[in-house]
Amino acid sequence: MTREILRRLELLNQLSLTEEEKESVMAFFDAREADAACLESIDTSEVERMVHVMPIMTVVREDVVSQPYSREELQRSAPETDEGYWCVPRVVE
Amino acid sequence: MRYETVIGLEVHVELATKSKIFCSCSAHSYGAEPNTHVCPACSGMPGMLPVVNKRVVDYGMKAGLMLNCDINRITTFDKKSYYYPDLPAAYQTTQWFAPVAVNGLVEIETSKGKKGVRIKQIHMEEDAGKLVHDIREDTTHVDFNRTSVPLIEIVSQPDLSSAEEVEAYLERLKNLLRFARVAECEMAHGTMRCDVNLSVRPEGSDKLGVRTEMKNMNSVEAIKRAIEYETARHIDALENHTEILVQETRRWDDIKGKSYAMRSKETAGDYRYFPDPNVMPVQIDDEWFESIKSSLPEFPEVKQKKYEEALGLSSYDAEQITRSIALCECFEAAYAVTGNAKDAANWMISEVMSILNARQMTYDQLTLDGRALGELIKLVSDGTVGRANGKKILAAMFDDTAISPKIYAETNGMIVSNDTGLIEKTVKAAIAEAPKAVEDYKNGKEKALMAIYGKCMKELRGNCDPQVLKTILIDMINQM
Ligand SMILES: [Zn+2]
Repeated sequence: MTREILRRLELLNQLSLTEEEKESVMAFFDAREADAACLESIDTSEVERMVHVMPIMTVVREDVVSQPYSREELQRSAPETDEGYWCVPRVVE
Repeated sequence: MRYETVIGLEVHVELATKSKIFCSCSAHSYGAEPNTHVCPACSGMPGMLPVVNKRVVDYGMKAGLMLNCDINRITTFDKKSYYYPDLPAAYQTTQWFAPVAVNGLVEIETSKGKKGVRIKQIHMEEDAGKLVHDIREDTTHVDFNRTSVPLIEIVSQPDLSSAEEVEAYLERLKNLLRFARVAECEMAHGTMRCDVNLSVRPEGSDKLGVRTEMKNMNSVEAIKRAIEYETARHIDALENHTEILVQETRRWDDIKGKSYAMRSKETAGDYRYFPDPNVMPVQIDDEWFESIKSSLPEFPEVKQKKYEEALGLSSYDAEQITRSIALCECFEAAYAVTGNAKDAANWMISEVMSILNARQMTYDQLTLDGRALGELIKLVSDGTVGRANGKKILAAMFDDTAISPKIYAETNGMIVSNDTGLIEKTVKAAIAEAPKAVEDYKNGKEKALMAIYGKCMKELRGNCDPQVLKTILIDMINQM
């Protein structure tokens, strides 16, 4: 784990870490990388990819429309709405 | 030095389902009030679990089979992380590790001949919402009506080398997906969108050049212009060192005819794809797979060949009808009733398609019952109903698909009468009213007869065999 990679991850996750947090996150990632390296040393070329840890497949639903929620209900916890829209900090100049 | 362009396309197609991919909100919100087709799941509320819409998987499979892909019988959903307010959960649920369809092949035809374009994969995913920036200056307004509307993304290999090939490829995709009725594929409606990956290299080289991705093209014409501009920009950079090409995403401005750098291209790693723990894998068992496979239509060119060789249609007629699966089905049903393919094809092309055009409907919007059309064609060809009245009945059948042409003709007085007495009476009155025309006709002006003929036909409301009317008319004038 390098400072450079951490900076990139901070940016992608929209995070701003303190110096202390950075140290702890880097130590955490180094440990996980060591775990991954250990796993990667095993030859899995003959092993079929596991799609999920549980042997459960999804259930599907039929293509039927229903609309049980009102907009007012959904937007009740929104910090700001306007003319039926959710409002967020402006994202373009 | 001569250069060649290497193009790969990422085509997003909105699937024609009723509801969204992971919730039961309507997938059709065109013109709807903002956020009225939204629920806790598609607005990204915490704790909501997605439930897969079966029809999305059906259509994903159909698209895959139409494009000669292998179907992954266990297909999984993954999370693609990025922060933007049009994506309420801060990740898009898409497919990365086991997309529904892989390794396809689409054949295209251009002025240079036939060519195969390899399909890398087709994956199912959810659409993002819409942002509105011009309501107020201080905020961005968010509408989630479009979030989670089902899409497939069709990723080609970099097998295309010109704007002409790209156009042929898009046209082919549209034709095949519409034929399977999985999507509308209308760029003007946003139901088909296309990103172009392009690079340029010296002709014959096997090394790929620096690749740029272009977005924001709203028509095939815009895509062609963008490809030509971008090719020229790349060649200029290589030849004249006007700029250093970098791998990036560029936005096409069709009004200015230029592309602009948007942002440096993310790598797959930046999206931190990982299996979505909230959606279990989808297993497509044999029964499901076979039911989809057997529901697919014949390919358009197979139908066209059959129409020409087995039914004797001209290649023009066969090509016209195979432009849409709805036209094909209507034609085939009408033919099954009449047993006369040419006649049915004529009605399809000169009447049915022209009504669709006049009403500004797409061919796929045809809902006419082909068997009823067949009944109508029979009524006209055996002389029970006049041709002009036949057209009127057809127009009525467009308005109300439950109409039976025979009953409609009877109740609206459109049955051709064999009552020669009535015809003679009508002709007699018409002749008496037009002595000048009679005189002209007797003096050799053949055309003068048509005026009287037309008047009689109108008087009889079209319910008269044209040949019978003509014979009676000429006989009566000659007897004068
Ligand atoms: Zn929803």
